[in-house]
Amino acid sequence: MNTKISWDPYRPDLAHNPYPTYKRLREESPLYYNQEYDFYALSRYADVEHGLRDRENMSSAYGDILEFVKAKSRMPDAVFIHQDPPVHSAYRSLMQRIITPKRMLGVEQEIRKLCARSLDPLIGADRFDFITNLGAEMPMRAISMLLGIPEEDQVAIRESVDSRMRTEAGKPIDLSKQQDLQTEALGSFEEYIKWREKNPSDDMMTELLQADFNDPKGGKRKLTRDEIVAIVNVVAGAGNETTNRLIGWMGKTLAEHPDQRRQIAENPGALVAPAIEELLRFEPPGPFMARYVTNDIEYYGQKIPAGSALLLLVSSANRDETRFVKGDSFDIHREVRPHMTFGNGIHVCIGAPLARLEGRVAMEELLKRFPEWEVDYDNAVLSSTSTVRGWDSLPVWVGSKPKNATVSAPKAAAPEAAPTGPVALEGKWNVVVKGPTGPQPAVLVLEKNGDSFGGAQTGDGATSQIIDFKYDGKNISWANQITKPMKLKVEFKGEISGNTISGKAKAGFMGSYPFTATKA
Amino acid sequence: MKIVYIEHNGKEHVVDATVGKSVMQTALDHAVPGILGDCGGACSCGTCHCYVDAAWESRLPPKTEDEELMLEGTLHTEANSRLSCQIQVTPEIDGLMMRLPSSQVL
Ligand code: HEM
Ligand code: FES
Repeated sequence: MNTKISWDPYRPDLAHNPYPTYKRLREESPLYYNQEYDFYALSRYADVEHGLRDRENMSSAYGDILEFVKAKSRMPDAVFIHQDPPVHSAYRSLMQRIITPKRMLGVEQEIRKLCARSLDPLIGADRFDFITNLGAEMPMRAISMLLGIPEEDQVAIRESVDSRMRTEAGKPIDLSKQQDLQTEALGSFEEYIKWREKNPSDDMMTELLQADFNDPKGGKRKLTRDEIVAIVNVVAGAGNETTNRLIGWMGKTLAEHPDQRRQIAENPGALVAPAIEELLRFEPPGPFMARYVTNDIEYYGQKIPAGSALLLLVSSANRDETRFVKGDSFDIHREVRPHMTFGNGIHVCIGAPLARLEGRVAMEELLKRFPEWEVDYDNAVLSSTSTVRGWDSLPVWVGSKPKNATVSAPKAAAPEAAPTGPVALEGKWNVVVKGPTGPQPAVLVLEKNGDSFGGAQTGDGATSQIIDFKYDGKNISWANQITKPMKLKVEFKGEISGNTISGKAKAGFMGSYPFTATKA
Repeated sequence: MKIVYIEHNGKEHVVDATVGKSVMQTALDHAVPGILGDCGGACSCGTCHCYVDAAWESRLPPKTEDEELMLEGTLHTEANSRLSCQIQVTPEIDGLMMRLPSSQVL
């Protein structure tokens, strides 16, 4: 061994192919310690599995995202992904009755319709984007549907939103586009919950409203509205981004394995399901999970002291050669063995049946319409954070590719530019909030009006004017009102250095999250 | 101590079992295909579903309320369905025969 292995989870150049590094970690340093960021990491399958199941020594009380564990962040009880038993068990067992495999399989036809709705308009085009046109649409609509916002009811909600918006913003809001409608429908969450209370149906929301909850503090009761909002936020947050990434990996991986893609298209009944399992193993949307270590423990003769942050490298475990023969090759015909993509143990993904269904139906509907495609890597963007790894944009050619179009190696999302001298505030800033369920991008546009600044911030398809703007040459703060996934005022406070602002974004009762804003 | 798992396609796996482990974990330890055990035995996923051979039904400890509730939402269940993570290996179940469903996930 010439050089000691080092692994930096934030290095953008590793995003494209982190697997050789993982392999070295498994071989040379199965318990790895990163001094710079002060965390431990386990990379072998058996250790990741053991870690995820170890209730005695591993805690989710500070969440499962490295930065959160290090910051010892706490969340309201109902954010159950961020809790230990008995609080976790109480919410989980309630949710377990609501998100059942049976119920998920029951909505297969609806999911199929949602896929058709995204894909049909693309027929005849030369190109489309796996993310914009499918990944960002279908999973989100599926969750809305499960929550019980059916098409015909959306009108009722829309009217109530409409009138509220009119009185609040002083002008009508254009709700003509479906995406906006969804956004507003979720935005008026409180209203929707109230409305659903009076109009019960057979959806998840009605069940959340009616379910008896065994409060870990004692007694049986109904969930409060705040709890319902938090639960829905966890479910939507954990389910949208990840499934979106799965669809991106589907586009890339199948394009790189045209023979297997052809086999699947010829025999979808037998091969789509194993192809989805293999895809999940091969490119997990969430490459690792963090835990807080509660007792001194030992792996490979080395101590992990109580109070440490530990990363469990799912995407390394999934390629462990001692478990998966030729783990680095994509093979839809391999013997089915469990992988770690949905986690393991008490926090194992509750939405796995839905994710698998969405993946399967999306692959079927895709191949029916587009049996072949080629990725336009020049315009594809990959990003990798401490929560998800996948394509932000994955444009593909399905028709005739223009002659002058080139297809070259994939490129990573541009690394953040190094801080330079102070920049002008006015203009466009790319904001990323590291939320509880993944990074939330937004765009802030600042305008100078005499001596003061104003502007607007756009995120998740909705734009609002910013308020309370302050700047003293170094410290900068502002706030905006978001409507999705719920109505909240988010207060940004940070320090500016060069072309980057970093600090905390406080999102009402949901807590504070780190954010960065980079001048575009 | 043996446990017999029969895959949906009829393929039989006779494996050595260790007292104190679950029937789900025993299958995973021997790489029996068709049992996933995603939640690691916390009765929270329903991917360790098996059908108990008729001769064994009455000889196993009864289902807990948690197992009953989880099975209600599990796919392809029958009257003899069990979650194998909820059955511990004991000397009394030597020779237990479990049939596996066509799929744990669809
Ligand atoms: C391919 C898509 C998905 C992947 C890769 C994925 C992955 C995961 C993983 C790894 C965990 C465990 C986190 C931990 O142990 O700290 C998890 C938990 C969770 N997932 Fe998913 N997920 C996906 C889709 C979904 C969907 C569609 C839903 C919604 C129905 C969902 C809802 C949840 C919830 C609520 C939890 C928290 C469970 C708990 O803490 O008990 N996920 N997911
Ligand atoms: S292993 Fe999850 S229910 Fe048995």
